[in-house]
Amino acid sequence: MNVWDGFNKGKWQSEIDVRDFIQTNYLPYDGDGSFLTGPTDKTKKVWDTCTELLAAENKKGGVLDVDTALVSTVVSHKPGYINRENEVIFGLQTEAPLKRGLIVNGGLRMAEQACEEYGYKLDKEIENIYTNHVTTHNQAVFGLYTPEMRRARSLGLLTGLPDAYGRGRIIGDYRRVALYGVNYLIAQKQKDKDEVFVSPMLEETMRTRDEISQQIKALKDLIELGKSYGFDISLPAKNATEAVQWIYFGYLAAIKEQNGAAMSIGRTSTFLDIYITRDLAAGILTEAGAQEIIDQFVIKLRLARMLRTPEYNELFAGDPLWVTESIGGIGQDGRSLVTKNSYRMLHTLYNLGPAPEPNLTVLWSDRLPENFKKFAAKVSVKTSAIQYENDEVMRDVYGDDYGITCCVSAMKLGKMMQFFGARANLAKSLLLSINGGKDEKTDKQLAPVMPIPEGEYLDYEVVRKNYSEVLAWLAGLYVNTMNVIHYSHDRHAYEAGQMALHDSKIERLMAFGVAGLSVAIDSLSAIRYAKVKPIRNEAGVAVDFVVAGDFPKYGNNDERVDSLATEITHEFITELRKHPAYRQAKHTLSVLTITSNVMYGKKTGSTPDGRKAGEPLAPGANPMHGRDTNGALAAMRSVANISYDDCRDGISYTFSIVPGALGKTETARINNLSALLDGYSKYRAHHININVFDRELLVAAMKEPEKYPQLTIRVSGYAVHFVKLSQAHQLEVISRTFYEAV
Amino acid sequence: MIGYYHSKETFGTVDGEGIRYVLFLAGCGLGCAFCHNPDTWIKGERSITVEATLKDINQYRNFYDASGGGFTASGGEPLLQPNFVTDLFAACQKDGIHTTLDTAGFCKTEALLQVLPYTDHVLFSLKAIDHKLHRKLTLADSNEAIIRNLRYIAEHKPVTVRYVVIPQVTDDAESIKKLIELLHSIKNVQLKVDVLPYHFMGAYKWNELGMVYKLEGVPAATSTDVKRVSDMLLTANIPLQYPK
Repeated sequence: MNVWDGFNKGKWQSEIDVRDFIQTNYLPYDGDGSFLTGPTDKTKKVWDTCTELLAAENKKGGVLDVDTALVSTVVSHKPGYINRENEVIFGLQTEAPLKRGLIVNGGLRMAEQACEEYGYKLDKEIENIYTNHVTTHNQAVFGLYTPEMRRARSLGLLTGLPDAYGRGRIIGDYRRVALYGVNYLIAQKQKDKDEVFVSPMLEETMRTRDEISQQIKALKDLIELGKSYGFDISLPAKNATEAVQWIYFGYLAAIKEQNGAAMSIGRTSTFLDIYITRDLAAGILTEAGAQEIIDQFVIKLRLARMLRTPEYNELFAGDPLWVTESIGGIGQDGRSLVTKNSYRMLHTLYNLGPAPEPNLTVLWSDRLPENFKKFAAKVSVKTSAIQYENDEVMRDVYGDDYGITCCVSAMKLGKMMQFFGARANLAKSLLLSINGGKDEKTDKQLAPVMPIPEGEYLDYEVVRKNYSEVLAWLAGLYVNTMNVIHYSHDRHAYEAGQMALHDSKIERLMAFGVAGLSVAIDSLSAIRYAKVKPIRNEAGVAVDFVVAGDFPKYGNNDERVDSLATEITHEFITELRKHPAYRQAKHTLSVLTITSNVMYGKKTGSTPDGRKAGEPLAPGANPMHGRDTNGALAAMRSVANISYDDCRDGISYTFSIVPGALGKTETARINNLSALLDGYSKYRAHHININVFDRELLVAAMKEPEKYPQLTIRVSGYAVHFVKLSQAHQLEVISRTFYEAV
Repeated sequence: MIGYYHSKETFGTVDGEGIRYVLFLAGCGLGCAFCHNPDTWIKGERSITVEATLKDINQYRNFYDASGGGFTASGGEPLLQPNFVTDLFAACQKDGIHTTLDTAGFCKTEALLQVLPYTDHVLFSLKAIDHKLHRKLTLADSNEAIIRNLRYIAEHKPVTVRYVVIPQVTDDAESIKKLIELLHSIKNVQLKVDVLPYHFMGAYKWNELGMVYKLEGVPAATSTDVKRVSDMLLTANIPLQYPK
């Protein structure tokens, strides 16, 4: 039998084109979820073992075990198992579940500190090799940084930059492994090298050739990884179980090789549905069996771990890996991309209980089948584990085979990669424009010298003009800093395995970000509409502000202040675009903080909107807590007013509501949530996290964490186990606006 | 035409069907002892025009339309501003927006006659049937006019009667029996009952306003209390708005 028998023919057979395979073969499903089945005995046994291991991991302070003696590569470790006779999808990062491997390419310090923090000692020989014989990404970056870059970094103007760890945010098109087998992928790469990238033999061509060579080596390693578990993945997958297994090997190779911040899985559900449908029709798979392979795939994704430092956790709390799986959406031909397997993937949240990973992301459109909308809304009401992103705004830009990486970043699968760029602190930038370019925490000169606004009260025109100067300066510094980081990462920590699962001719995005947007624009609004008196120290730096009078606040659908959000994001991306990005990357911008809003807040002095020094900024594009007084929809319209055209890397909004405020009955809650998402999508907003629970639940979980091991909440762009957050993060989450019934 | 209001809620999900824009109008003379929004009794100075309200509602139309929701005039007592509510409801209906009136019926009958033609659905908050109890719980001398208004509404529009279960105060067998008798005497197939549990989350507002909260010490209703009353109504063949 030919492995492709039973599939509709298409262009996908003569060249790598996964989208074409999906479009010519998938079966849209508009029925309900009544066909779904519970976990099989095998799944239950495997998950029971995992539950014990996860409890032990929590008990040990978050890390169960570390391999300190062997640097992790695709082929470094012997095969590992959880509960071998009951597993149906195989493969672990090391030889034991939850034992973390060392990945040092990103930076030695990160590996060293992480070991020490959890009571381990890094092997001397590894330390020696990475100090004396290998240049890490981290070493290289710091050799390249200018004094100004270091200053902006250490004072908290640019923070979370991927200069000490893997940049991540690259999605290998893991589906290619299943559909084509690795041999074919190697042959195509070899062809690209021999026929396409041959001239002119100058730096960019030679570098690409070098990278393709590394990719081919990585693909060969991938075959070895499969072999070690007894599978021959050099050939295409023959059935659904193999398709899942092949995809997972592709992903496993990536997380064994790279300690990337976000390591997303892509958009696999509907692709896999084609294999499952074929097997069901052939009578070689049952519905219970189909759910079993998806459940067990998800179990594997839930166990993915990286070794990271507490500093890192302060930025990105809860030990996330952003194994983001994108589900649903509408095809360019208007057919819904929802299949039965979209349901099976969401159903894992019932079969295995709620969990933050994989980061299940529903690509929403009001044109999705009503049944599916209600199903997803119900899962949200019950688990708070899903996020939604607007397919109606992304499809225009990224087509209908894009995936979300990390939280909100879309890219065409296998055709685009991104240079992750963390974020610039817009609130702090505003303070620079009030303080003559001096850092408000240390009085040090950070931005170029500019006149300190005169007079008892701040003058809007003066501050706004200064702000433009600061943003223009910051944009140049930011682009250059990113160029340094990604030049270095490409050279010293290249993601050969993931890039091997992309086209050789790749579109690159450079993803910039902003934090503190709502604080910045509320501050501008205060200066414009109320009276703001700066309290300056002897260095002329404003250490606090006295605000007299009221002012329009972001989050109330008030044009006077919302227009500032549009204006500032537009201005900033425009300034960024003025500076060429490394390897002709396209500049994009996100309004996303992840959980770094807490740390950014610590590094930001008092602001003219009345926020005091050290207090957290609002997450993502959220209004500041308690300032949105016209109800949830007004806040959503404010968020929707920010243009996706200016913020192509995503605009994150986190919505928390008590169940009673979503509707009086469960049916009403589901219908209202579904309608809420329809409306949000129609107003062309981009992203929303949905949390449905009472604040009291979180308070109880803080007191007795052991009772709530699976309590999952959505934070900016991802989900976490609430009990894994630090106390500061827990308090910040609790203090946020929870919409209640009035 | 302007209306005096207390606040607005763009995402109202408990005052009528679907997602609704709820305008809480200011001013109420009933003075219920268990009111959780006594800050809406005074008319105050916050005002808005019909046009501005309609424009604001339309900012959120996609949400209301997708959910089968619309606009709710609540309060305070909206029927104390009949001209404003009439114009606003008429404008809403003209624009295809479903209108719900959230009233306690403590108003002149003319006000009701004026607003009702532009009303799609009425939420009628019935405090007590027994005259003495009603007088104890509210500032009204009698509930005769209120019940007359309820009968009139029920003859003309779909109505949901909201009844607050206050433990030991409004949920004794005698009170519920009277409620059932009253509802049986009203012939309207579109009448449903929403049984609401009493809570004292608004008590602090009384203190803030320098008033004495008369129900101090009365416990909040539990789900068991609500179920008991609901079951009595169901046994008497009275349909509930939110059947379990």
